[in-house]
Amino acid sequence: MDQALQHLVNGTVLGGTYALLGIGLTLVFGVMRVVNFTHGELYAFGAYMTYAAVSLLGLDFYLSLALATLLGMALGAAIEFLLLRPMRRADIDSTMLVMIGAALVLQNGEMWAWGGVAKLIPNPFPGTPLVVGPVSVLPLRLFVLVVSIALLLGFWLLLDRTRIGMAMRATFQDPETAALMGVRINWVNSATFAIGSGLAAAAGALLGPVFMVSPTMGDLVGLKAFAIVILGGLGSLPGATIGGFALGFVEEFAGGFVSTEYRDAFGFLLIILILALKPQGLVPAKERIG
Amino acid sequence: MLRLEGVSAGYGRIAALAEVSLEVREGELVSLIGANGAGKSTTLRTISGLLKPTTGRITLDGQAIGGLPPREILARGIAHCPEGRRVFPHLSVRENLAMGALLRRDRAGIAGDLEAMYARFPRLRERSGQAAGTLSGGEQQMLAIARALMSRPRLIMFDEPSLGLAPSLVEQVFAIVRDIRATGTTVLMVEQNAMAALQLCDRAYLLETGHVLRTGTGAELLASPDVRDAYLGGAI
Ligand SMILES: Nc1ncnc2c1ncn2[C@@H]1O[C@H](COP(=O)(O)OP(=O)(O)OP(=O)(O)O)[C@@H](O)[C@H]1O
Ligand SMILES: [Mg+2]
Repeated sequence: MDQALQHLVNGTVLGGTYALLGIGLTLVFGVMRVVNFTHGELYAFGAYMTYAAVSLLGLDFYLSLALATLLGMALGAAIEFLLLRPMRRADIDSTMLVMIGAALVLQNGEMWAWGGVAKLIPNPFPGTPLVVGPVSVLPLRLFVLVVSIALLLGFWLLLDRTRIGMAMRATFQDPETAALMGVRINWVNSATFAIGSGLAAAAGALLGPVFMVSPTMGDLVGLKAFAIVILGGLGSLPGATIGGFALGFVEEFAGGFVSTEYRDAFGFLLIILILALKPQGLVPAKERIG
Repeated sequence: MLRLEGVSAGYGRIAALAEVSLEVREGELVSLIGANGAGKSTTLRTISGLLKPTTGRITLDGQAIGGLPPREILARGIAHCPEGRRVFPHLSVRENLAMGALLRRDRAGIAGDLEAMYARFPRLRERSGQAAGTLSGGEQQMLAIARALMSRPRLIMFDEPSLGLAPSLVEQVFAIVRDIRATGTTVLMVEQNAMAALQLCDRAYLLETGHVLRTGTGAELLASPDVRDAYLGGAI
């Protein structure tokens, strides 16, 4: 029981960052109908930028996280402007190929810039876990959870309570009519891709110090992000949030009770299982934004 | 006020409008009638900036507006209430109305207009927090009209506002259009229901395969034999 509680806590920490990843990916799909294969690389980019800021420039840890997220948004905006905007009228297959190409370029760029050796990001938190009853959690992980939840909440408030959020939702639902209302569709697309990329970079910046940073870290995470999004139902924000936490829990519990080596496999097993039972994903289409 | 001179437009290589010329004067209610695929919607879409004219000139009060993006057209006072209502299904009724006022910055004015819409369409007030997709067809049409009005347009364009509505609602929609004109807003209306449209309007244009076949006052077109034969089923 105590062990289960511990896994629950660990799963929540992991799930928070997975939810960030999933939301970023599903948002881009929902608004732009673009399957964003660069998502995992933006995650890696966020981690590397944190590494660069903390270890190479010697900047403050918290400042570095914010900087990495902002740089991720800027990279996303650049990808949108240079690659996606010229392809607005192209079919989804061509866009996918271009995004796969972009992901390869980003990954090889990371390899070239940082070398193949994994890096460690130093963090200012004490290495002794906080113990509450039967559960112990590292302060760094607690920090990651708090920031993830703050970002999830902030994102939800942005989308639900602001004019730009309303314009974004309107654009998901009917871009042409949104244009008739005066929405600048190009602007919404840039903002959407920048926010989606920023969420991936934030997840990378947050998990970078928890794990190690390596050029291939984006691969598995990119795959997991797709898993989360498909699990929750393509284009569904609540679905991606639930999917993110579900994947975190499954990996944590399966890793703890069944096999550590195959923990990543259990997540994908869950997805196969859920899709076999509910092909539309967890959240049905009518509750979706897109 | 609004003038189209030799305007052509299309979808890719398909030409949908061929040298259309028409005029809407300040305060008028002008109808655009014609068979399916005649180019009525395309005309409105070209005016509102969703399509760019390939040739010709579009002017508003003498200023060229052809090819401007929809946002600029709306900012100049032309609202487009599109075919098939096109309310945002997952936004609430209130948010749909707010979308109509997206370009406005006068908070007090927007709040006043919102109240005016609710007073005019009480059903919308009752359902203000509900997702627009859950409204009935008639309610959605009222919402689409109210949303277009929220921009305070000088010229409002309706694309088949009576489409798919029950007869009593059709009556109501035409009454609203008449009211809007009575308050000084200029109206350009596309209608399949040629009979009603011709009775309601000051002047009308009959489109056929992308060009203007005939124009005149509503009464003139109602009396014209080919209009009667082709669009009013000859049976009036
Ligand atoms: N999205 C599109 N892509 C290609 N062709 C189109 C498109 N929309 C309309 N058309 C073509 O353009 C022509 C004019 O269509 P338009 O929609 O303007 O007609 P309409 O008069 O509004 O007809 P309806 O009464 O059916 O609404 C038609 O031949 C139609 O097939
Ligand atoms: Mg039409």
